[in-house]
Amino acid sequence: MSSNDMSPLAATMVNSLKTTHQHFHDLVDTHADIPWRNFLLAWGEIRAADILLRDDEGHYYIDI
Amino acid sequence: MTTETFRQFIDRLDSAGQLRRIGKPVDPRQMSALGNQSDQACLFETIEGYPDWRVATALVSSRQRLALAMGCDEKRVAFEFEKKIAHPIEPIVITDAPCQEVILEGDDVDLTALPLPLMHLFDGGPYIAGTFVVSEDAEHGVNVGSYRLMYRTPNETSIDMVSPSDMRFYYQRALDAGKPLPIAVVIGVHPLDMLAASFKAPIDASEMALAGGLHGSAVELVKCRTSDLKVPAHAEIVLEGELLPIGWTADEGPFGEFSQISGDVKWNPIFRVKCITRRRDPIFYMLQMPWENDWLAAPVTEAAGLQALRVASVQAVDIRAPVGSCGYWSLIASIRKRPGEGKNAVAALLSVAEVKFVIVTDDDIDIHDPDDIDWALTFRVQADTDAVILSGARAKHIDPSVKSWLLGPGGLPTTAKLGIDATIPEGVPKALYRRIKPYDAGGAKLEDFE
Repeated sequence: MSSNDMSPLAATMVNSLKTTHQHFHDLVDTHADIPWRNFLLAWGEIRAADILLRDDEGHYYIDI
Repeated sequence: MTTETFRQFIDRLDSAGQLRRIGKPVDPRQMSALGNQSDQACLFETIEGYPDWRVATALVSSRQRLALAMGCDEKRVAFEFEKKIAHPIEPIVITDAPCQEVILEGDDVDLTALPLPLMHLFDGGPYIAGTFVVSEDAEHGVNVGSYRLMYRTPNETSIDMVSPSDMRFYYQRALDAGKPLPIAVVIGVHPLDMLAASFKAPIDASEMALAGGLHGSAVELVKCRTSDLKVPAHAEIVLEGELLPIGWTADEGPFGEFSQISGDVKWNPIFRVKCITRRRDPIFYMLQMPWENDWLAAPVTEAAGLQALRVASVQAVDIRAPVGSCGYWSLIASIRKRPGEGKNAVAALLSVAEVKFVIVTDDDIDIHDPDDIDWALTFRVQADTDAVILSGARAKHIDPSVKSWLLGPGGLPTTAKLGIDATIPEGVPKALYRRIKPYDAGGAKLEDFE
């Protein structure tokens, strides 16, 4: 699944992760106004796309 | 007689003044922080976005509440635990189970329908912890253990299996055969069931029967919908599925470990959920880390220590797994000693699981008093003869000092262990340890002179 096929929320998160390495809580903080279940569904879309990478400190990121 | 259920225990906490009911709406992102501030167990009765659900936490995050679950005095928990698991009671199987009031299969499986908590600041995602996980091996039988799961997708989690365990062994055997391993993840069981799951029983021992022994009556089980595994019938939620035969390849963590450390990213298998069963009005259980885990670990470690001392023919008087060692890595025991048994006791206690620091004292020392222990360490120990060091023993990844990050995926760490015999040395007269007492201590009373 490319980010074009994702929900708008998931696509926003993908773009953010392409820009900076982030802890999971950084993403949560950024989307604090989003209902938790919607956030988790979007996160699940990104996980399912198998594009997430981790650095040594546990940050998530996506290689462009 | 039936066993007390998870929700019946919550009611008992309430009756004992040990439960805080929180009726205002709570977001799952707030639950951990709120539970951490309470000196009572918490029941969140309104969860934002999850109208059918309640969430319980910190049920046994103190020795007092653990003793309540065990039905004994706080200082007797380990002895009671050891006594009861010596008399296991086999479970019975029923067909009509509360944990299967609602059944969700196929496209209806959606983990985001559960109020998954974001527990700690640096966690790699929402977690399900404090689980009761059932697996089975054709040769070695049923196993129960407790494993944490990190949410990945609506039907997948990663599962922490970096440490040695029977289920890890079962999984390795399935992996070698290129097959998935069916498991059932049970959420919301009684603390006594959790204790049985945490106990490092021999591979052929039945944790379900141990749980029955702890309850004093048989645990009722029900067959899963998608496998032959059997799970506690009165649980709140059951996730049925399988560990995919992919090995230790999926990122998992960090997670706020019971070592009170944030942990790091680990590589672990993936659990794919095929079916969710639950009660109509489920109560999700959120383990309150680290204290709830530590207090659940302590009696298990202490009971293992008592068993080791018994096998070594050493008479234990008291034993304690200090909460500073997370109820897991240290044991302090007082014994009624015969010559040489200080060292025998040290050797026995160092053989327990991943215990890496042991102190053994005589029975005149109050091992619940740190000052009394310091006194024994100071005046009864000669470092060159009373310290025992073992190298290359089994360890746990979450101890940073074992440098597990150097091992690679699936690697198992080792550790050094230190034991100190703080009993009165052989050849030193006991009279030299006579404690000072004020003259007329039993007669003169301060209140008579006020």
